[in-house]
Amino acid sequence: MLVGIQLDNRQSQGTAPIDVADEMSLCLQEVALQRCQASFARLFNYFAPRVRSYALKQMGNEAVAMELVQETLTNVWQKAHLFDAEKGSPSTWIFTIARNIRFDMLRKQQNRKEDICADDLWPVLCEQTAAPGELGLDQQVTLDQVGQLFEALPDKQRQVIEAIYVQGKSQQEVAESLGIPLGTVKSRTRLALQRLKEMLSEDD
Amino acid sequence: MINLHPTDEQLLQFAQGLASPGLSLIIAAHMDMCGKCAARVAQFEGRLAEQALSHPQAAEPELQKMLDSIMALPAQTGVKPDCATFLELDGRKFALPRSLQRYAGKISGWSHMVGKLWQARVDLGIEGRADFIYMEKGGSVPEHTHKGNELTLVLDGEFSDGLNHYDTGDFIRCDGQHTHMPHTEADEGCLVFSLLDQPLHFTSGLARLLNPFSHLFFK
Ligand SMILES: [Zn+2]
Repeated sequence: MLVGIQLDNRQSQGTAPIDVADEMSLCLQEVALQRCQASFARLFNYFAPRVRSYALKQMGNEAVAMELVQETLTNVWQKAHLFDAEKGSPSTWIFTIARNIRFDMLRKQQNRKEDICADDLWPVLCEQTAAPGELGLDQQVTLDQVGQLFEALPDKQRQVIEAIYVQGKSQQEVAESLGIPLGTVKSRTRLALQRLKEMLSEDD
Repeated sequence: MINLHPTDEQLLQFAQGLASPGLSLIIAAHMDMCGKCAARVAQFEGRLAEQALSHPQAAEPELQKMLDSIMALPAQTGVKPDCATFLELDGRKFALPRSLQRYAGKISGWSHMVGKLWQARVDLGIEGRADFIYMEKGGSVPEHTHKGNELTLVLDGEFSDGLNHYDTGDFIRCDGQHTHMPHTEADEGCLVFSLLDQPLHFTSGLARLLNPFSHLFFK
């Protein structure tokens, strides 16, 4: 039995209906691509009071709670390009940012000496240079094999994959250096990984 | 083939950010190798988000000020992973799961122990200790039980312990109820990441002589 949380009543809480999630996804995209202030204000007005309620419960102190809200929403503004609608809703993404910041804040507050930080545990705010779960260790292949598979990718996909996985660039940097939209980089990466995955399972 | 996973309760605590740092790290490393647990945690995070963020707490003038100060900031790139993605031992290179990569550069060197065992301690600053342990083919850890908890994640290769056979990615939890003797017959040996909160207690033969010193080896 899992303690302290109801897991089977997904619908019962008054949470964001689907259309709000869609709207917030669009806002995040606008912030990522255009630094759109109106879109961010929408996100902020919707999420800041909600994160504040979570923060008050977690931290029990108004000033510290506001610090958590500020840091969470600052990350949303500065790193909106890391949001990936395919991995989850805006509210899940923002919750995981708040959880990570809470973890690191408590670590500092309690003066714990451990070296383990939130970025190690949950790569929510890390640039995606590898897709977790998509090419896991259990699907590891030799460099030779990968080389051959690379050659079989369409040119445009290979260019993006090479920049990200071989040169270690972020998706944002690839978009800038190739002069193409971030969305295009993301979809090319996704298609290429999917193609690689298919080729790998054909090999089995 | 991964057979052993953290419990749902452990995954939930991890998703909430409430599991201990050591347990969290080994769960994160397991998830890097196990799509099933990664998906389960993502599911938990979705539900937790719904619960945590469903009640807005009245906005204040303070929030308006905060909004303005945030939008004055420039965009930023996310955290970039470190380069040390491999762990090296005797000319062999082991790929590490993402969560452990930062620690490859933080080991205090490999020490060769009894039998065909190699151990590299990682200073995580947590209670107890964390090690990478490599068993060569034919290598074994003397039979022992545990005073506390031992968490083990198989990073590469496979091993048996008289109770079970473990494969790459398996998440193994042992406590005082388990007496075992890990050993491997795999040609490539076996690399594990292990967390111990109390010293081991050796149970058989000459190895019992190790007990007074077990804190030197394992604690
Ligand atoms: Zn698993």
